[in-house]
Amino acid sequence: MSADMYQTLPGPVPLRYARLGPSHASRPPVVLLHGFGSDFESGWVRTGWVRALEEAGGEVVGLDLRGHGGSARPHTPDAYLPEVLAGDVARLLDALGVGRADVVGYSMGARLGWEFAARFPGRARRVVLGGFGPSDPFADVDPASPGSGEAPFDRVFRAAVAAPGADPVALTACVRGQMSRPFSPDPAPVGVRLLLVAGERDALAEGMEALAAPGRGDAVVRIPRRDHLTAVSAQAFKRAVRDFLSAESPSFRTS
Amino acid sequence: MAEQTFALPDLGEGLVEATVLEWLVRPGERVERNQPLVELETTKSAVEIPSPCSGTVVRLHASEEETLRVGAALVTFEVDSAAGIVGTVPGGERPTRRVRLRPPAE
Repeated sequence: MSADMYQTLPGPVPLRYARLGPSHASRPPVVLLHGFGSDFESGWVRTGWVRALEEAGGEVVGLDLRGHGGSARPHTPDAYLPEVLAGDVARLLDALGVGRADVVGYSMGARLGWEFAARFPGRARRVVLGGFGPSDPFADVDPASPGSGEAPFDRVFRAAVAAPGADPVALTACVRGQMSRPFSPDPAPVGVRLLLVAGERDALAEGMEALAAPGRGDAVVRIPRRDHLTAVSAQAFKRAVRDFLSAESPSFRTS
Repeated sequence: MAEQTFALPDLGEGLVEATVLEWLVRPGERVERNQPLVELETTKSAVEIPSPCSGTVVRLHASEEETLRVGAALVTFEVDSAAGIVGTVPGGERPTRRVRLRPPAE
């Protein structure tokens, strides 16, 4: 994605975003929310997602979450509370004139997708939670020194701060802000269908099946031989999302 | 018709190698330019490499789970057109899908 694809949403914490593909009256745009330590480019462009969604004819909105990519990087944990990040998504959609969107989030971006759908009823139509489950990813993480342990998230953190251009202070603040609000499946988003997808070797998505309500038309997909890192690019993930977002009937199921 | 070999492109971010996660094409298969070719795993992330050309796949130079250095042969095609394919990933096809493998410098 070339740099001129990106635009900046002004505000106290300016955010970099991209809006791609044709808009449709009948189908909402897909908002892509990347995981911790990633950005739109790494999480969704290099992994082939934008190509796949554009081929399916959809409109895509990609956002660099605060603290990540080309967006501003506050250094205080309060700036990274899940509700603050969800507010960023709402603010971006407001600015774009998008009332209702489909949301695809991965890992921390999935947590954010849930938060957005729960806090802004009616703004999310369908929500895909990738690489995410109800168990606390920070359970064994030391808030004073994230990355120092051997929990799966410690490894994610170490890879994130080692990346060129990363801001370790902002990333640490982000972890602390997220840790201060442990995920609760209650209250669940209302009026939204969920698709849960993860690699079958993804420890961070343990127990994700419990978040699905089959009566509501939710669906669950496990990707063979993939883990938290490698499930992102999987063709089975992309197919599941395309089917889920385009299905008309609430009886959509997949295995 | 000519055979052209496509090398593992520079993946940016100082990455020097990548491991084949899954081939998305097979020898003998017809591919279109920009069609997903292979998924790779680096130390940092997963990456999908699109086909740099339209043509027929002649040979895959690495098996799944094999690690390749940047610049090593990845796949050989019999191509329709020889325009700009050796060792590079095309930069801009259509204005709506300019894909660059190296992220912007921070």
